[in-house]
Amino acid sequence: MTERLSLSELNGAVKKVLASNFTTPVWVVGEISEINIHSNGHCYLTLIEKGDSEDRIVAQARATIWSYTFRMLRPFFETTTGQQLTDGIKVLLQVSVEFHEMYGFSLNVRNIDPTYTLGAQALKRREIIRRLTDDGVITMNKELELPLVPQKIAIISSPSAAGYEDFMEQLANNSNGYKFYTKLFPAVMQGNQAEQSIVNALDRIYPHEDFFDVVVMIRGGGSQVDLSCFDNYNIAYHITQFPLPVLTGIGHEKDDSIADLVAHTRLKTPTAVAEFILDGVAAFEVRMNLMQQETISLIENRMEEEKELLEELTDELSRLVRDQLGNKKKELREHSWRFQQEIKLTLQHSEHRIGKILQRAGFLVDRYFLVHRQKIDKARNILDVKIPGSVQGRMEILDHYIEKCNHLAVKRIDHEKHRIELAGQKAILSDPANILKKGYSITTVRGKLVKEVALLINEEVLKTRFYDGNVLSKIIEIKPGKS
Amino acid sequence: MTIKKGLSYKEAISEIEGILQQIENDEPDVDQLSEKVKRLSVLVTWCREKLHQTEEEIEKILKDIEKS
Repeated sequence: MTERLSLSELNGAVKKVLASNFTTPVWVVGEISEINIHSNGHCYLTLIEKGDSEDRIVAQARATIWSYTFRMLRPFFETTTGQQLTDGIKVLLQVSVEFHEMYGFSLNVRNIDPTYTLGAQALKRREIIRRLTDDGVITMNKELELPLVPQKIAIISSPSAAGYEDFMEQLANNSNGYKFYTKLFPAVMQGNQAEQSIVNALDRIYPHEDFFDVVVMIRGGGSQVDLSCFDNYNIAYHITQFPLPVLTGIGHEKDDSIADLVAHTRLKTPTAVAEFILDGVAAFEVRMNLMQQETISLIENRMEEEKELLEELTDELSRLVRDQLGNKKKELREHSWRFQQEIKLTLQHSEHRIGKILQRAGFLVDRYFLVHRQKIDKARNILDVKIPGSVQGRMEILDHYIEKCNHLAVKRIDHEKHRIELAGQKAILSDPANILKKGYSITTVRGKLVKEVALLINEEVLKTRFYDGNVLSKIIEIKPGKS
Repeated sequence: MTIKKGLSYKEAISEIEGILQQIENDEPDVDQLSEKVKRLSVLVTWCREKLHQTEEEIEKILKDIEKS
C-alpha cells in the first residue's frame, strides 16, 4: 500500500527540506522579466534565465521584495546604476528560498548588488561598441553635416509620451517665431518591442530623406527611464547607417546609451533637443543679421570715404582751375605786353618807313616841280619873245585913257574949288563963337555935351562955356520937365 | 535678381558671406555696391521669410507623407 500524503503534508515536507537546505540566504543571478509594484508597497518579480541563444528561457522563479526592504533597495539600486529597477535587466539578488504550502516556491529578496547589473550592462555595451567599431560604422552619423537650419524634422517617439508633447510645444512656441515642419513616426520606445519598432520607424523615414533635414529620437522624461533597449546593436547600427543626422533626447541623467553614442548629437531630454534646434536656427539668424549689418556699415563707411575722396578731388580740381586761370592770366598779360611792344616796334618801323617814303616823295615832288618849273621857264621864255608886241599896242591905249582922265580931273577940281569958297563964307556965319556972342552957352559934363537932364546926377560938376570963358558949377537939384 | 528654386540656407549664407568678403576686400566699385546691397537684401529677406513663414508647398509634401 503506497503511502498517501495530503497536498498540505507534501508541501509541508518540501518546505521543510528546502528550509533545512537553504538555512541562509544565497546570491542568485537572474534577469527580471516582469516587475509589479503593488499599491501596498510590495514588489513582485518574475526572474528568468535565458539560454545561450537568448530567446529560450531555461529557468524561471517568482520573487518578492517586501515593502520595507523595497523602500531601501530601490533607491540604492537606481542611484548606483543610474537606471530603474525594471524588466529586461540582469540582477544579482540575495534571496532566501521559501516555499509556502499555498503559494509554492518563491524567493524573498533581501538585498541587491547593483555593481553586477552595472558590470553586465557595461559588458553588453562594450560588446556592442566593439562590433560597431569593427564594422567601421560607429562615427558615420556624426560625420553627416547638420543643416544650418533644421526646419523639417522627422520625429521618432511614442505619440502619447510627455516628452513628445514637451518637444512639440517648445518648437511651436519658440519666442523667435520660427516655422518648423514636423512629422511623427510613432514607435514603441521601451521594452522588448522597442528595437523592432524603432528600426521600422527609421525605415519609414528613409524614403523621405531628401525632404527632412534631421531625425529626432525622443522619449518621455523623468526618472522612469529604461535605457536598456537603447543599448541595442540593431538600433545603433541603423542610426549609424541613416543618411540624415539623428538627434537623441531619450531622457536619462548618467551614462549615454549606445544610441546616444552613435547619434549625431546626444541631448539629455526632448526639451533639450528642441532648444538645440532653436539655438541653431537663432544662431543662423544672428549670423545672417550680423553679416548684413557688417556689410551695410562697411558700405556706409565706403560711401563716406568715396564722398570724402570726391570732395578732396573737387577741392583739388578747383585749386587747379584757379592756378591754371592765374597762369593763363599771367600769360595773357605777358602776351599783351609783348604784343604792345611789337605793335610799338612795328609802328616805329612803319613810321620810319613812312618817313623814308615821305622823304622820297618830297624828293620826287621836288624833282617833279623842278622839271615842271624848267618847263614853265622855258614856256615863259617863249612867251617873253611873243608877248611884247601885243603889250605895246595896249600901252598906247592906256596912255590915251590916262590923258583923258587927267583932263577930266582938272575940270572937276576947279568946280570943287568954287564950291568950297562958297561954303567958307557960309561957315563963318554959323561959327559957335558968333553964337556964344549972341548969349548962348555950351554945358558939358565928363567931357560930353549936355543935351538932356536925364543923364545928370546930383552933386556932379558941370562945365559951362561962355563967349569969354568957362564956369564950373555943381548940380544942386535936377528938375525934369519943360521949364 | 531672383532666388533660384531650391536654394538652401547654406548657399544663401555663403553668398551673403561672399558679398561681405568682397566688400571687406574693397572689390566692387561704387557702382557695383548698390547691386551687392540689393542682392544682400534679397537673400536676407528670402531667409527671413523662409524662417518665419509657412510654405504651402512644404505643408503639402508633409501631408502627402502622412498619407503614405
